[in-house]
Amino acid sequence: MTEILISILVLIGSFLSLIGSLGIIRLPDIYSRMHAATKSATLGVVFLISGSFVFFLSEGVFILQLLFTIAFVFLTAPVAAMIISRSAHRNGVELWGRTKHDELMESYPEHLEPERDNEKADQP
Amino acid sequence: MFEVIMIVALLVLSVSLMLCIARALMGPTLSDRIVALDSFGLNLIGFISIFMILQNTEAYAEVVLVLGILAFVGSVALAKFLERGVVIDRDSH
Amino acid sequence: MAFQILLNLTIAFFWMILQNSYTSFDFVIGYVIGIAIVYFLRGSLPQTFYMQRVWAIVKLLCLFLKELVVANLQMIRIVLQPKLKVTPGIIAMPTYLDTDWEVTILSMCITLTPGTMTMDYSEDGRTLYIHSIHVEEKQEVIDDIRNHFERAIVEVTK
Repeated sequence: MTEILISILVLIGSFLSLIGSLGIIRLPDIYSRMHAATKSATLGVVFLISGSFVFFLSEGVFILQLLFTIAFVFLTAPVAAMIISRSAHRNGVELWGRTKHDELMESYPEHLEPERDNEKADQP
Repeated sequence: MFEVIMIVALLVLSVSLMLCIARALMGPTLSDRIVALDSFGLNLIGFISIFMILQNTEAYAEVVLVLGILAFVGSVALAKFLERGVVIDRDSH
Repeated sequence: MAFQILLNLTIAFFWMILQNSYTSFDFVIGYVIGIAIVYFLRGSLPQTFYMQRVWAIVKLLCLFLKELVVANLQMIRIVLQPKLKVTPGIIAMPTYLDTDWEVTILSMCITLTPGTMTMDYSEDGRTLYIHSIHVEEKQEVIDDIRNHFERAIVEVTK
């Protein structure tokens, strides 16, 4: 019975990780890729680790480190996503051509505005 | 049956790891590579936790925790390095 | 709040002493009885009943987990559809939360929920810049976050 539960957890987890990586390959610009990398990969890893945790719990071993890792991944994934996308935007990495609003660009002070090759970004 | 499912999951994760490496090699900008490596680290954690089930050993529990920390610290450090001169950070002191 | 928790713990230990058995099971029973006693005494205690806050935290966690699952289903749909039909955008969202902690929790919730990701904050920390993977109407995205997360977070910290 527990084997079925563990199998389901592990299969969902690996599928979500695959979705995350496919998103990193398929999506057009870094900001959209960041969505895939944070949401899907995080939940996928949490599923995989909890599968492992349940397996050892059914064997009678309680591994606290795995629980710590789940909490840690949940806490750090949003921070890493924010810092990476912010540094990309400040370095002038182009947005996808179909992006509608860019209100972050308007918020920068004049002398700090990143340089961006707009002609290249306009092409789809 | 149980082992077969674990090996299938390992294969799926290997494909996922390869896709991450592909993006890290292709990535037009440095930021894309950072995203790919961050996601690579997360997937590696999952990979090792399946290995723990397959080999029935709890020796890798610390490895999982430390790899999680290293993936986070590494990507944050790289992103901060990329940001270098631009300091619009709030000072909190 | 701290006083009420201390009172509750005291009642739990007292229960264990009266039962003369010191297991974690007895402690849990004592704690539950303590919650009931503090609930009936809430009128004469200085602050509001602290389980209200615990309940608000549980509600926030449930909302967060539900939105996380929805976010992943949406991500699966976006990645697996043959042609990308999305229009991303970066939106400035003013928030009325006060302390840094609340804003931090809000931005974490935004990142792990459907279609949105925090990118930056303004210098005073009261405006968040959100990258949304599919924007139809700017105000819709902002209202969605307002009605779900800000309200739940205010419940916890008020």
